[in-house]
Order: sequence, then C-alpha cells, then structure tokens
Amino acid sequence: MDARSIAKSLHPLEVKVLLHYGPQEDLDAGRLIHDLGYKEGQANQAFSWLSAKALATEAGRSARIVYELTPFGRQAAVSGTAEERILKHLADTGPARLPDIVLALGLEQKDVGSAFGQLSKEGALSLDGEKRAVLDPTWFVTAHANGKKPRLAIVHDLIAKAAASADGIIDDAELNAAGKSAMAGIAKKRGAGDSVFRTADREIVTYRLSLSTMDVRIALQAEGLTGDELGPVTSDILARRSWEGATFRPYNVKSPTARLMPGRRNPYVEFLESVKDKLVSLGFEEFDGGLVETEFWNSDALFMPQFHSARDIHDVYHLADPVKAKSIEEPYLSRVATAHETGGESGSRGWNYSFDKEFTKRLILRSQGTVLSARQLPTAKVPGKYFGIARCFRYDRVDATHLSDFYQTEGIVIGEDVNLRTLLGFLEMFAVEVAGAKEVKYVPGYFPFTEPSIEVHIKHPVLGWFELGGSGIFRPEVTESLGVKAPVLAWGIGIDRMALMALGLNDLRELFSPDLENVRYRRAKL
Amino acid sequence: MPKIEVNEGLFFSLLGRRMERAELDLALQSAKAELDEWDTGTGGAGSAASDDGASARVIKIELNDTNRPDLWSTAGLARQLRLKDGATRPNYPFFSRQGEVQAASRRVIVEESVGSVRPFLAGFCVSGRGIDEAFLKDMIQTQEKLAWNFGRKRRSISMGIYRSAKIQWPVLYRAVEPRSVRFVPLQETREMDLLQILAEHPKGREYASILEGEPLHPLLLDSAGDVLSYPPIINSADLGAVQVGDTELFIELTGTDLPSVTLASSIVACDFADLGWKIEPVMVEYPWTTPFGRSVVFPWYFQKPLGIEAGRASRLLGKSLNVQQVALALSVMGSSVDIHGQYVSAWPAEYRNDFLHQVDLIEDIMIGVGMEYFTPERPRDFTIGRLTPIELLSRKAKGLLVGLGYQEMIYNYLGSGKDYLEKMGIDGTKVIRVANPMTENYEYVRNSPMPGLLGTESISSKAAYPHRIFEVGKVAFRDDGQNYGVSTRQYLGALSVHADSDFNEVSSQVATLLFYLNREFSVEEPVAGAEDPRFIPGRQAIMMYRGTAIGVYGEVHPRVLSAWGIGLPAAAVELDLDLLLA
Repeated sequence: MDARSIAKSLHPLEVKVLLHYGPQEDLDAGRLIHDLGYKEGQANQAFSWLSAKALATEAGRSARIVYELTPFGRQAAVSGTAEERILKHLADTGPARLPDIVLALGLEQKDVGSAFGQLSKEGALSLDGEKRAVLDPTWFVTAHANGKKPRLAIVHDLIAKAAASADGIIDDAELNAAGKSAMAGIAKKRGAGDSVFRTADREIVTYRLSLSTMDVRIALQAEGLTGDELGPVTSDILARRSWEGATFRPYNVKSPTARLMPGRRNPYVEFLESVKDKLVSLGFEEFDGGLVETEFWNSDALFMPQFHSARDIHDVYHLADPVKAKSIEEPYLSRVATAHETGGESGSRGWNYSFDKEFTKRLILRSQGTVLSARQLPTAKVPGKYFGIARCFRYDRVDATHLSDFYQTEGIVIGEDVNLRTLLGFLEMFAVEVAGAKEVKYVPGYFPFTEPSIEVHIKHPVLGWFELGGSGIFRPEVTESLGVKAPVLAWGIGIDRMALMALGLNDLRELFSPDLENVRYRRAKL
Repeated sequence: MPKIEVNEGLFFSLLGRRMERAELDLALQSAKAELDEWDTGTGGAGSAASDDGASARVIKIELNDTNRPDLWSTAGLARQLRLKDGATRPNYPFFSRQGEVQAASRRVIVEESVGSVRPFLAGFCVSGRGIDEAFLKDMIQTQEKLAWNFGRKRRSISMGIYRSAKIQWPVLYRAVEPRSVRFVPLQETREMDLLQILAEHPKGREYASILEGEPLHPLLLDSAGDVLSYPPIINSADLGAVQVGDTELFIELTGTDLPSVTLASSIVACDFADLGWKIEPVMVEYPWTTPFGRSVVFPWYFQKPLGIEAGRASRLLGKSLNVQQVALALSVMGSSVDIHGQYVSAWPAEYRNDFLHQVDLIEDIMIGVGMEYFTPERPRDFTIGRLTPIELLSRKAKGLLVGLGYQEMIYNYLGSGKDYLEKMGIDGTKVIRVANPMTENYEYVRNSPMPGLLGTESISSKAAYPHRIFEVGKVAFRDDGQNYGVSTRQYLGALSVHADSDFNEVSSQVATLLFYLNREFSVEEPVAGAEDPRFIPGRQAIMMYRGTAIGVYGEVHPRVLSAWGIGLPAAAVELDLDLLLA
C-alpha cells in the first residue's frame, strides 16, 4: 500500500501519534498519555495497530514502579485526607477529644488515631490536660519556613496529581526524594484497601516509529487528517448535532468484509421454481400427485403392454406393504384393459394379450412424470395446458449421472386443433424460453405412449447439442380410454443438465447435497 | 433400447454407397437411431472414412424404437436407410401368404407335446455363397437382439441356426422328459441330459427359469434322432454349430406367440435375402389349427393392411398432404400401398408389424416425408397458467423461514432404515418399505424431512454456527384409509442447532411463521405415554389447526442427537402444509 492509502486507513489514535512524533523518538504509553491525553488503553491500542502495520517497532522493555490511586485515595482527593480534615476541624471548632472528632468527621477510629499520631510527631498538634487535641499555632509557619514543604502538603500534591491524570497513576520515576518518602507512607503493595495508593510493578515497552511514517505523515497532512474526525455516528452525535462542521473519519472501504450467514433459498430449488414460473408464463397450469402409484396409472393407462421389457421387476420399485391398491377407478380400468387387449373403441388393434387386472393394482414408486399427465386427462379442460415437476424413482445404481429419485418435468397440451406442428411450436418455445437455446432440431423418437414421437435437440450456448426432451401426440389408446377425444400433445423436458450447468456442478448427486457449508457457498450462475 | 454393432464395410455395401459421419447421423433419424460410436481410424471425426479397413471396423448404433426389431441388424438398418435414400422397395418373392403358398420341399413336424410349454415354431432354409466372418458375427447379434429385446430374454422368442446339409428331414419338434435325452451342447465336449444342461451349462443356468416347473422340455431333432437344439437354451454341438464357409443353413424360431415368432423369422429371412442368399421355404405342420392354418409355409406374410385418409394424416401433422404424398411417404418406409380416392391402404413391409393404429401410419408418413417438411407453429389456444395452491403456500412458508434466518435444503426421498427408523427412534409401522431395493441405502421412502435435516447436521459440525436449515418437500407414509393404503403430503421441516437452541426459540419461530401464513393455530401437549420419541418429553408441542394435529415442534431428544452424532442442542419443527390448506 502506498502512503496515501495507509494514511486513509489509519485510526485517529494512530493519526495523532504519527502527526506528533518523528521516527527518532522513544515512545511509550506514558508519553502518549502525557502528550496526547490518551488513556493507557488507547496508547497501547495505538502502538498495537501501528506495529501491525509495520509503522512502529518495539525498541525495548524496562520495568518500573507505579502508584495507583485506590478508591479510598480518590475519596481523599475530593474531601481531603484524614489528617487534613482533622486539622481543619480543629482550626474551625477549637480543641476536641479524639472520639468527638471521629463522630464529627464520620471517620474510622483507627484512621483518626494514626493521623493524630503522625501529626503530633511532626508537632502540628498535641493533647491538653483534658485529653483534647489542640493545634500548635506556630507549626504551620515553622513547617513552611525557608520554602520548606511539609509532608502533609507533599501528600496533598501527590493525590491531586494522580487524581488529575487519566488513569490515576504516578510513576515512581517522576518522584523526588521527598515525594518518594511521602509516598512510602501512603502506598501499600498488598491490602491497600485503606491506603491512598497501591504500589504496582509495570513493564514499559518502548516503541519507535519507522522511517516510512514520514511519508505517511506528509500524506496525512495532504489529506487534511488530524485524528479529530468523527468516528461512528452515534445517537449522541445526532442529538447534539456535533457533526455540524466536523469531518468524519474516512473508513477503508476496501477492507475485508465479515462473513454473514443469511437465511437463504436453495439454488437448485430456486432453479426448479424458475422453470415452473416460466411454464406458468406460457399458460401452463401446474399439476401434482402422490409418490406411490399403481402399475395402472404408471404404465397401463399409458398403453405400455404389461409384458413390456421396461416393466420388469428390476426397472421399478414396488412396495413391500401394502402391495396392491384396493381398486382402480372405473370406467378407466375396463377401458384401458380393452384397449390393451383388442384396442376397444380407439381404432387400435390392441396388443392382443390378456390384460391382468390384479397386476395392474400393484403399487410402485412413480417411475415417470407422465403418470401425472395420464391422471389429469379425465378432468382436463379443452383447450388446456398442464405441467408438473415430479419426483420420480428409478431402479438405478446411484452415480454421477443416475439417482434413485430425481425430478422430471412433464406436461400436456389439449386442443381440438393441436397437431405435430403445434407440438414443434411448443418444443421451440421450451428450447428458447426455458433452455435459452439458439438452435433447435426435431428428430423422430420413440415412446410407448405417443405416436408420432419427437425428440427435441438443442444447441445450448454452453453445453452444445444435447437432447432437451421427448414428446409426441398421445396415442388414441391412451386418450380415448381416459375419456378425451381431442388430440393431446405430451412432452417432457430434461432440466437437470441445465441445472448442473447453472450451479456449476457436474454430478447429479450434488443437486441434493446434504453438506451445509457446500450449500451455503453455492451460487447460481444465471 | 438395443444397441447394435454393424460392420462398416458390410453396412455401406448394403446401403449402396458410403456416407460420412454427418450424413449418416442425419440418415439414421429415419430409423430413430443414433450414432453411438464410429472409430473411423485414420480419417478422424467427420472425415470421409476410406474403404481401407472398413471390413474390420464397426459402427455402434443405438436404436430407440422397441417395436421395430427389423432395424436391429446390419441388413435391416441398411435397408431402412437405403429406402429413405431413394431405393425402390425390395421384392421378397419367397413369402407365402393366404391363397399364395410357395412350394416347400422340407418339413418340420410339431408334436402335440410342445403345446403346453413352447407351442410355436417358424423356420426356413437358406443357401448361398458361404458365410463370412462379418456376416456370422452379425447373424449371432441378430439372434441375440431378437431373442433378448423382442423375445423378452428368450422367454417368448428364441432362435437357432443349423447346418441343413447334415439334417435328416423332416425335423421333429417335441417336448420330452428332460432326463430322457442326452446330447453334446455347444461349448461342451460331453453328453449331458437336459437337467444337467440347466444346472451346469452357462446358458442353461442363464435361461433355466424359462422352463421352471415344466414337466416336459422342448427339443428339436431330425429324423435320424440327432438333436438340433434344446430350445430356448442351447444348440447341439454337432448340427447346431455354424461356421464360416457354411453354404446351407436351417433357421428356426420357437416361442409362445405365433405372430411374434413369424415376424422374427420374416425379419431374418429378409436379412439373408438382402445379402444375396436364396431363401428356401419350409413347411411347418402343426397338430392343431393355428391362426395361420394347420400347415404353415414359412416365411409367412400374415400382416393386415391398414387404411388412412390423406385428410386425417394432414390434420394430425398440421400440414396439408395429398394422397400421392401420403402413399409415397409410406412406401419410402417400406409399406406397399394402394390408393383409393382419398384413402391409402398400406400393407406393412414383410419385416414389420408395428401398425396398431392409424397414428402409427401417420408417424411413418411424417418420417417418410421428412422432418424438415414440418415447421413449428405457435399455439393459438389461450389458457391461463397457474401454480397449485400447495406450491403457492409452500413458497410463502419458504420466504418466511428465510426471513427467520434458515437455509433451504433439498434431499432425496429414498433412504436407509438406519437413518429413517433406527436413528430417529421410531417404530416404522407407518414407513413405506421398498420390496426390491437396489441396496439397503435406498430401502425406505421418507416419512419426514427430519432425517435429511439431521443428516446434514451430522456431517456439518465444521460449518460456522448457528445452523438453521429447512426443507419443504414430499413425504409418504402408510394410511389404511386410502385406496392405495398410503398418503403423500407436502411437509415443512426446520432444524436449529447451536449452543443456545431450545424450545423457546422454535416455539417463537413457529408462532411467527403461522402468524404470517395467517393461520390461527393452538398448541396441545401430547397425551402422556403418546409422546413423539423424536423430541424430549415435556418439551414438545402438538400444533392444532381446525381440530386437526398439523405438526409437532420441540427440542430434539438427546437419544436422537446422539444416534446422529450431534454434539449441540437442537430444536425442530415438522409441519404438514397440506393440512393448512384444509
């Protein structure tokens, strides 16, 4: 970082140090407290920040003794020491017995006793015949003769000085011999509760500013920064309007941000919802259904013969218990059975086998979303457009491209006038609107329940050519059995590849990732 | 969907010309086929492969139409592409049909005994210039694809090929007591009886289930008593071992459905004919009357014509086609056609029987005309799109949970008994079990979103806390009142895990959620002894809405947390959103 950027990133506590001192000076907390009016904590903070930025380095360490004003001492700073108060009391009211002084001044008896002892030793007072303390009228003059300073005054000054400093501390090094001698009488290392000062050992760390701070200082001056800028906007600043005429400390707007963990939608679910919204915008009404289906609705109603190879035991999951539905809706069961056997009234010659009405009740986990289309047919409006994104189950070994359960997007379009070209029109809409394709091609396909059948391939901007979906016009054996006379376009589109791309993934299992951190960091590209 | 390998040299010689990759790709569309793999050697992708080495290279092709077994061979696929490329329909004069039966010098006698096990047989002989390596391989592939994909893994169709010169005619098709016959099967050197073959021979073990429980097993033998084969299991190592160079063959197909067996034999006969072999019909004599008669001379044409009006095709295809266009398109796809006014009668090609309905003709017309002829058309019907009420309610709930600081998750619906039952501490009487799971990891259908959420917590202890996660999705469980005996519901599940998560947190959040969903709900304590084992007794609440329990929330029981390996307190809610729509 250049000096200007550094200058702008400094805290006011650092700014003032850099403006006030040069690189040759030995600095310690005491100096900052003395010169800049810092509290000890602020001084240490300033050194710590400057050191972290390599603007200051530690130059040495030394031990020292300090005297810290106790709460008792702070009280004395306000109302005077016991000695001072006794002298003043006697001067105001004349001689008094010690118990009376204790009562009058509200002091502890032992404090009055020790104060009297000390003062009488120094000749300031004595006891008369009635055991009253009496001031020696000559003492004050004698004590101050020739510019002398009595201990009492020295103690008073020490307390006043400590009370005036930011942290109530006096450094032993600042004291002369008389001061040290006076301090010895009023400071204790341990059990200092009733003493004025507590004696403590402190370590002084000395710092020196680096040479580069000279450039920073110039930059600070160029920016007009003084360290007196306002920090956080507080209610107090607003109430007092102290911001008027003041400048605000500039923050480093490029400093690293904190990590937040917001409540958030799952990107894959959002992707699925965006597809739903797209289809709704194209006039499709959503349908939904159960996870458990019968062979009837899953396959028979779709005119897949019961001997079809895709209906083997190892292609669908069936239920252990219950095994079968209680019944299949009529008249659909009879009509579908007839369509399979002889074609019935659909104009088909049928599959020409004996339809098993027990097998058709077998319960399975829905293996294709087309179930929902079949189920919609008996109650579908004409014209009508329907879709669903349905969780389906497949008997597949789970790997990067196969899941045991996954979503299929399927739908139907019913209309007296729909035909192959309208089907292509819808496929084109899905390709362009849902998949963002620029090029589309239509290829003959095969599905047991549609004829003609069309696969739609698209050229995706990222994925290149791939099969977007399958479609066709429902066979009359399907629609007539379910009571629909109008042609029905049926379509299914594969959106998982697009989802993987949108989420920057290449493994289908990742779509359903249980890993929280993984999901928290996942973002959709689109 | 079958995948086949075609010999490049043979394929293009049958097709009449070479094609480059892009052109082949496009041409395969008329057969609903996709180029899977074609290593053109030195040429590289897209370049014209040279003839050099073509006979050693294969093209792998995937075929999508399970009703077109005629396409599952080199000759059949080449035939379809050749027709689409402008060739005239091939003539197959060796077919017999009603009122026009070809002379047959050889006979197969079907005996009464096969009636209950595998009653039908179709067969014919061929003679030609001798089988080469490529064709032998192709023939074995055809045999496999027909029997496996079209013949339901040999159950309804199986095929055998024999050296006809060594056969003493007529051939006999009978069912025998399986211990009573011994012969040397292919890939063996010793004589075995039929049960031995089923138990010890690899093919026997593979297909034994087809004959399970049958007292009599099918057998094909010649008049000298030599075994041809043991259908549908294995050929004899003597008469049934075909080799490169053989010039005279007998081909038979046995099965359970006469039309399927007949069609399969027609397909194979057309393939041989396309390769220049002479087809010599064989008469099969049944002891009973079949739909095709008591004696049937194969190859036998049994297909029925189907008529279509040009207007009907035009309406469904959305493009006006005249009767000539319709007729031409159908003939390009192999049918022989007659025009009567606006109607076209289509006699399916000898090798096809997939016209169940007029719509099947219409698809052939579409492919015959060419996809490029049909342009997309914008739909004109106006319909209103809308989401389901449960989707709309779910989205509202998701928005509120996000506002409460929850991360949405999505999970699979199949899982293990260990996760769904054991770790949750529930008895599982209402949980749906799959009868045929692939592995025990996918054996149960979830009855709650909670295992998914707890599963996340169990692997996410390193993720920064707090953890607040939720899912809205389906669950299913047993429900005897339903026709299916099960119910599927839309559930919401949420889990909060951090050092201070507790009942108060989740109860406040649930109250907030329901407040903004605008549903007045009340809270009840579970009846003593009927507590939800997933939550701590005394710290679980049942949510009531319009007199029905709609969910439960509370502090997750330490027994459950410990089963999942979770080391922090957790609070959770499980809510049936469908019941909020009541």
